[in-house]
Amino acid sequence: MSIKKNRFTIENLENVQINIGRVVSSHEAKESEGPTPAPEIHDLRDWDMKLLERYEPVYSPVCDMCCYCTYGKCDLTGNKEGACGIDMEAHQARETMLKGLTGTAAHSAHGRHLLNNLIERFGEDFPIDVGPSNLKAPLTQTIMGIKPETIGDFIPVLDYIEEQITQLLATAHTGQEGSALDFESKALHAGMLDHMGMEVADIIQVSCLGMPKSQEDTPLVDIGMGSIDSTKPVLLCIGHNIAAVAYIMDYMEEHDLFDKIELAGLCCTAHDMTRYNENAKIVGPMSKQLKYIRSGIPDVIVVDEQCVRADVLREASKLHIPVIATNDKIMYGLSNRSKDEVDDIIQDLISGDQQGALLFDYEKVGELAPRLALKMGPIRKEMGITALPDDEEFKKLTSSCSQCGACVIGCPNGLDIDKAMEAAAGGDLTLFEELHDKCNGCGRCDFECPKGIPILNVIEKGALKFIREEKGKVRIGRGQIGDPEIREEGRNLVLGTTPGIIAIVGCPNYPDGSHDIYEIAEEMLQRSYIVVTSGCSAMDLGMHKDDEGKTLYERYSGRFIKGNLLNIGSCVSNAHISATTIKVAAIFAGRDINGNFEEIADYVLNRIGAVGLAWGAYSQKALTIGTGCNRLGIPVVLGPHGPKYRRAYLGKPYNKDKWNMMDARDGSVQNVEPAPEHMLISAETKAEVMPMLAKLCFRPSDNNLGRMIKLTHYIEMSEKYLGVLPDDWYIYVRSEADLPLAKKEQLLKKLEEEHGWKIDWDKKKILEGPTRKVDVSFQPTNVPRLVKGATE
Amino acid sequence: MAAKVLDTTRNAVPFDRANVPGPKMAKAVQAEMAGKLISKAKRPLLIIGSAISEEGIVDVIKSMAEKGIPVAATGSSLKRLKDEGIEASYVNLHALVSYLKDPNWKGFDGNGGYDTAIFLGHTYYYASQLMSTLKNFTKIKIISIDRHYHPNAQQSFGNLKPEDFIRALDVVIAQL
Repeated sequence: MSIKKNRFTIENLENVQINIGRVVSSHEAKESEGPTPAPEIHDLRDWDMKLLERYEPVYSPVCDMCCYCTYGKCDLTGNKEGACGIDMEAHQARETMLKGLTGTAAHSAHGRHLLNNLIERFGEDFPIDVGPSNLKAPLTQTIMGIKPETIGDFIPVLDYIEEQITQLLATAHTGQEGSALDFESKALHAGMLDHMGMEVADIIQVSCLGMPKSQEDTPLVDIGMGSIDSTKPVLLCIGHNIAAVAYIMDYMEEHDLFDKIELAGLCCTAHDMTRYNENAKIVGPMSKQLKYIRSGIPDVIVVDEQCVRADVLREASKLHIPVIATNDKIMYGLSNRSKDEVDDIIQDLISGDQQGALLFDYEKVGELAPRLALKMGPIRKEMGITALPDDEEFKKLTSSCSQCGACVIGCPNGLDIDKAMEAAAGGDLTLFEELHDKCNGCGRCDFECPKGIPILNVIEKGALKFIREEKGKVRIGRGQIGDPEIREEGRNLVLGTTPGIIAIVGCPNYPDGSHDIYEIAEEMLQRSYIVVTSGCSAMDLGMHKDDEGKTLYERYSGRFIKGNLLNIGSCVSNAHISATTIKVAAIFAGRDINGNFEEIADYVLNRIGAVGLAWGAYSQKALTIGTGCNRLGIPVVLGPHGPKYRRAYLGKPYNKDKWNMMDARDGSVQNVEPAPEHMLISAETKAEVMPMLAKLCFRPSDNNLGRMIKLTHYIEMSEKYLGVLPDDWYIYVRSEADLPLAKKEQLLKKLEEEHGWKIDWDKKKILEGPTRKVDVSFQPTNVPRLVKGATE
Repeated sequence: MAAKVLDTTRNAVPFDRANVPGPKMAKAVQAEMAGKLISKAKRPLLIIGSAISEEGIVDVIKSMAEKGIPVAATGSSLKRLKDEGIEASYVNLHALVSYLKDPNWKGFDGNGGYDTAIFLGHTYYYASQLMSTLKNFTKIKIISIDRHYHPNAQQSFGNLKPEDFIRALDVVIAQL
């Protein structure tokens, strides 16, 4: 008999009630909990301070004032103190923590909402199944010290996260913490929690909803505004949470509606829709939301949560598109119709009496949305409703532009909209076609134009020919990396013979359009890096094709080995990327991960060449994902909008004493090369970022072959994209065996002539010069307690 | 017809309209004065970004480098500068501002830090945000001779028309 969580009464015994809480399995009981299970804010502070000592926070305030309390506004310019005593550095650290905490809350609340829904549907005892893995929830195990087996086992995990979020949020109140470094430690704590919250959300949906489980060959699905068949009624779902949308897909499947209705998703909900049912299509990332709504193509919109524009209802209402809101986070002021009959709600929406409905009964959402789409489709198509101007109006609008440049000043990317207007007035649409990809679809330009030109609509009209051809392919999100894949590839990653994992993730606020990430991914794939991707970036990667018309997903396999491209899934699937590094520590290196975050992060930092690239990061969620990676020892690069997050973690390679490490074998100290050089940095252009990614994959544990491979890519990409041999290449040379084979002699000469190293030319050996020698047994660590024989 | 008078202090509003940092914003500066301020600097550093495709801008950089001002090439500007024979050191702009705020940094030539940072040819929002690091956490003078008004500099041109921009830079060079 299995004992389950429940409440019992015993017959004939009045006033006796037995409550059974969480049941700890015998297997779980045997596992060690580790040194820091369910860490409090201060428990991992020492680790944070080690990171922050080497990678110093560098602040770039967006606002020089503090407006928190009624003492203010306080002018903190020049690192002055405000009325409460906080200085600019600490205030910026607090701001960053708060923004990150918002992101953590968003993912964790998503997890909680989904968990409640799935427990209601499947029960607490529904088993976790993520594919061929014993290590099913690496982040949860590392942070909490528990090994969940059922979805109900995640209840205390979310309880813990929510409690910690409350504790962290409390620290932001005026008049408390005054240390920037301690706020950073708290931000790192929030980032760590975020990854676990994401892990919960994705594992439960993969387990319960039949999504791919560590599946390398998931099918390809259509993506792009041009891939949606607008002759059918179009049902568009926007957001991140599959809970309600799953009911829609179930209803459509049961009623054979997939060939009658075009079901499309925008943002991460779209990824999860295709993971649930491959008949769904993906319109694109967040940047397409306003553009697609204004096209007038959607006949019904369903929203859930997170990256959903605040003006969806306003915009949709102008075009008679009813909006169904399904989650507490977005209610748009709509009436709660959860208790009403579906037929009545449909009638009110078709007649236009109501612009939308709030529905928390997902059975009703499942039935209502497709039925409404079937009715609205013919009505709206007959009316031909779109926000885009017709040809005559387009000409009139572009000709009326006075070239004042207000739109350019209003545009986050300063795009040359005025020049495109001028060209279009003369009949040339090419600039609008170029703008379409560069434009992130925010719509700020509309509000800036003194002549009231609906600029975004004009851009879209001007690029219509291009948009119709906007069709690509995305490989459906595969979920976790399976244990067998780690066994195959872990050694190569730690020794460096697979040059690194490049995680291209995050939002579409790109500086110069989505083509950049395609080029970056292609370059790294050709160089045998493992490229993993998720969320909006994973979508945009599928939008571009080579000369033969193939997307990267069609050219590269989805298995976790060098030179492959893996779409992990939606935003919450990002947890599996960081968890992969934990799996390497556990499976390849045999480290005990239970409640052992510091040791595992120390391992990841020094041995696994994984780097995140959030080229278009815009959201608070992206910030906390990055910060969570940082606490685990994974560096992250942001695009040029990144400094608006206010804080970076930057190393100083010239500051030699920051790069001392212990050898865990005997505690001896070695001065090592700056690897990885930075923990959180931004780059200005794609050309700059490529060699930077290569450099950030260096790790002290690289063997000669691994270092040679990594150095080859760093040098080659610097020469290719920046036009020079990087001036710090020699720092990463420990012996002649680290040198790229094709350039060995040339580089030995440079070492001798430019850096004064001693070379034995007969043997082509380095005699003197490197910071340290290669020692294959070197066990780099930053944590004294991990040194052999150390006492706690 | 007489040439239009060049006034680089006009239209001194943040190029990204909402980029208003606080009470302390850059003083709009005439090109001649910008040139004089640069010429007075003891340890100036010319920081060049990746937005240098505008005609004439590289010639200006070359002239300033020939006047002895060291050049830091950020982003992906180095290739273009090298092609034009301009000596420059590549550095990531984010890393550079952290080095500049470090009193122990020895600079590109090993002779110590810099007292004046001159910004030219940058992606607007990127440079603006990183200037705020220098503004708030260093004593370094920040002079922007870029085409758009940078509120986080101490001195900046206003938003200039392309034709006025190169004229203004020529005036700066004449003062060096």
